[in-house]
Amino acid sequence: MLSSKLSANRIALAITFILLLVIPHIASSYIVYVVILAILFSMLSASYDLLTGYAGPLSFCHAAFYGLGAYTSALLTLKTGMSFWLALPISGMSVFLFGAVIGYPALKLRGHYFAVTTFFFGHFMYLVFLNTRELTGGPLGLGGIQPPESIFGIDFSGMTANYYLILIFGILMVGFLYALVNSGFGRLIVSIRENEDLAEAVGVNTAFFKVLAFSISAGLAGITGSLFAHFFRLLHPSTFSWMTSEMIVVMVLVGGAGTLVGPIIGAGVVTFILEMMRFAPELRFVIWAILLIAILVIEPRGLAGIYARIRGGK
Amino acid sequence: MQLGSGLIIGSVYALVALGLNIIWSITDIPDFAQGSFYVIAAYAGYFAVTLAGVPFPVALLLGMCVGAIMAFSCERFLYRRWRERTFRAAARVQLLVAIALFFLFANAANAIWTSKAKIFPAYMKGSLLGLSYMRINVFLAAIVLFILVYLFIMKTKPGKAIRAASMDVGMAQVLGINIDTVNSIVFAMGGALSGAAAVLVSPLYSVFPTMGDLPLLKALVVVILGGFGSVSGVLICGLGLGVAEAFGATYISSAYQHGFAFFVLILTLLLRPKGLFGRV
Amino acid sequence: MKHFRKVMLVITVMAMVLLGLNTPGFAAKVIKIGYTAPFTGSAAEFGVNGWRGIQLALEEINKKGVIVGGKKYTIEIKRYDSICTPTDGVANVRKLAMQDRVVAILGDHCSSVCVAIGPLCDQFKIPGITIECAADKVTKPGHEFYFRMRPSVGLMAPLITPTIVEKFKPKSAAFLVVNDDYGLGLASAIATELDKFGVKTVVDETFERGNTDFTVYLAKIKKAKADILFYIGVTPEGAMILKQAKEFGVTERTVLIGSEEMGEMELVSLAGPEAAEGTYAVSLWGAVPADFAERVEDRFDAPMHYAIIFGYDALHVVARAIESAQSLDPVKIKDAMKKIDYEALEGRIKFENFEGYRNQCRFVPSLIQWKDGERVPLK
Repeated sequence: MLSSKLSANRIALAITFILLLVIPHIASSYIVYVVILAILFSMLSASYDLLTGYAGPLSFCHAAFYGLGAYTSALLTLKTGMSFWLALPISGMSVFLFGAVIGYPALKLRGHYFAVTTFFFGHFMYLVFLNTRELTGGPLGLGGIQPPESIFGIDFSGMTANYYLILIFGILMVGFLYALVNSGFGRLIVSIRENEDLAEAVGVNTAFFKVLAFSISAGLAGITGSLFAHFFRLLHPSTFSWMTSEMIVVMVLVGGAGTLVGPIIGAGVVTFILEMMRFAPELRFVIWAILLIAILVIEPRGLAGIYARIRGGK
Repeated sequence: MQLGSGLIIGSVYALVALGLNIIWSITDIPDFAQGSFYVIAAYAGYFAVTLAGVPFPVALLLGMCVGAIMAFSCERFLYRRWRERTFRAAARVQLLVAIALFFLFANAANAIWTSKAKIFPAYMKGSLLGLSYMRINVFLAAIVLFILVYLFIMKTKPGKAIRAASMDVGMAQVLGINIDTVNSIVFAMGGALSGAAAVLVSPLYSVFPTMGDLPLLKALVVVILGGFGSVSGVLICGLGLGVAEAFGATYISSAYQHGFAFFVLILTLLLRPKGLFGRV
Repeated sequence: MKHFRKVMLVITVMAMVLLGLNTPGFAAKVIKIGYTAPFTGSAAEFGVNGWRGIQLALEEINKKGVIVGGKKYTIEIKRYDSICTPTDGVANVRKLAMQDRVVAILGDHCSSVCVAIGPLCDQFKIPGITIECAADKVTKPGHEFYFRMRPSVGLMAPLITPTIVEKFKPKSAAFLVVNDDYGLGLASAIATELDKFGVKTVVDETFERGNTDFTVYLAKIKKAKADILFYIGVTPEGAMILKQAKEFGVTERTVLIGSEEMGEMELVSLAGPEAAEGTYAVSLWGAVPADFAERVEDRFDAPMHYAIIFGYDALHVVARAIESAQSLDPVKIKDAMKKIDYEALEGRIKFENFEGYRNQCRFVPSLIQWKDGERVPLK
């Protein structure tokens, strides 16, 4: 029984993987574009899951780190002529450090206090992107961003090369997160989530590990932002507003927080549902919201719950 | 003038925040959907005045009823489903539903009545010390509503049940308090307060589908600032935030008018992690 | 399992509905044209009005039919919501080009989106025409396949500023500007022009869409004793500013001049004739035929709005181009659009390359004043 489940999982994984590999060759550039967005959102959701699913605190500012990474990377390449391949790790690192600076005071707050504080931090960063016009172009947007410089003779100005670049980073990031949550660090932050006081009592520096999880999650969002900036090549504050943060929260919770796979599937499903709704311009979000509530009424644990039911045959 | 307009904006924040605060402290749901009840109540008030031609106080009452009924129904038919469940993510499902409801009603308003702003006719002319009566009424009505809520919570039997539930739901149940009734009451009350705030300011501004975003955002801050379960804390912080924003926009930077809340919040929470007036 | 079946049922039904709605009809002789615009979010009113204009033009065109190569075609519009964000706008254009195979694209309304979709039109070799994007960089340096009818902010400012200086002889000016590409672009262009006439900018304030209380800004302007106040933004906030400006006596000293939207009939329906009385506005259209205004009124129960006119003209431009190209090849339609020259509702449509602009019409904005709820054009 167990082995058949495992193999079914493996088959599904293999099919998904092969499909992801061949998509640019069988689908139109529109589909490829949507899949790229879905992969970027999967990366955001997976990195968000490290904080909210594994470490516990609910945050509402993931899009701010996404935007921060995007603007940092874009401005580094635009103002200093730095190569994308250098700007990517630098923006990831700087968002990581920034996350630590924000996370250290903010994570002293618990529960809802933390959630609302991050919500406002996210909105504040949006205002910063909007109002530092000399730097970010504000509402005029930041254009003229160059695609990644070619390496190994691969030219990244086209869609397909960008697709594989983002796919590879997506796989690397998920692999990294998988290793991380299954390591001692992962078990530690889960123990903090389950009982913070107990963890503290047995001598774990809970504050340190929570801030670390927060910063890693932020840093990964920053890297995703950098990839987005050089793929889309036009940055606008509206891409990083609180709506995006809420969307990431929805993706993760619909998929099933604390499972890593759930949020990735959640990101894919939400992106595609919203994309399919394009035919109904005015009612798009109405239908989407009703669908979301319907899913939760039928199965409150979201897609992961539905999956568990199929597996369990209940 | 800054002080005056700050106090009025602050009254709106405080009214929405009061409902949110009570709901949040008892049911643990950050009810984002209040922002959309605000919108629907404003439309209800608008249509009552323009189509049915009812006087303003009736429209105000109607808006409050609409807000109360919507909030009550959402609790009764949605949030309640997940209260008894014991799985870990129950609270997050409620949050998710709250976000979905917010999207749902605000976008439904957009789809039904279009995004074009509707102008709520003025119901009163004249002004006092540079502030029109309609503005002053917002402030006065807010104060009256706060006193009513305060008396209700402090002096009546259901009020005592609410207080007990906000301290410890489990204990309240042991003492024979029907938690379903308490939830229904607090949600209806929260919806009514949001509805009142919406109809009160509509004649000053206008009625449009995204009108609930900013009050919701600020009310969230006020809830945290005031601390859970403190009626007077919410009033003081709501008014304080409104005034701080008005002065901040005048003397510091208007571009960051809606960002001041963040600084106020961070500063307060670093100094007093439970909010200014929090008990819990 | 029982619940799971329900879920599957719901999903299947949804999928069938979606497929059903997405499948094109069986009418063979159809020309597909795409439209990307904000239909939700705070910019939705532009999409709603643009769509009204397009519907009116569509009815006229389909009544006669479009004759290409002796065959009669009708036009079908595929429209998608961009929420005024570049990522959604790009998804729309890609879908229109790759899935729907449209021959031309109308939209968008937001400059940040137009800037993103201009290059895509070149890439897909499909002509695009913006409805009301105003930022200079949409057509400067521009794209071979992207067109604009209305003047950009950089073109408007030098044309309108001398008229204003001559009429009001101001010493100081205040700006109250919506914080987006359009507001900031037009404000800085006008401020630069005013500076040439020695008019100082004493207050320069920006606000976010959706803001409702402007008393703080108005207090600043009153204190600075500015001679003219430029309000650059749209009617919902503009109406509130007018009412609040009257309430706090700002308009007693300061002349209020609004941007294009403040010259729309919608303003009167929002703010009431008393609040608008005596204020001025820059306008892109002088007057439309009375029967057109009546049609808008009958069909949509809505006041006239420039986006209606722009949307109406945009679809007519494309339909004309298709007929004169006598082809459904997007490249030939693009070539025909470059040759178009006719008098449309908003002015003379002729796409020209000049002063670094590409595929840009030029018409001169005018100044109107509100009197008893009517727009009165100044000579």
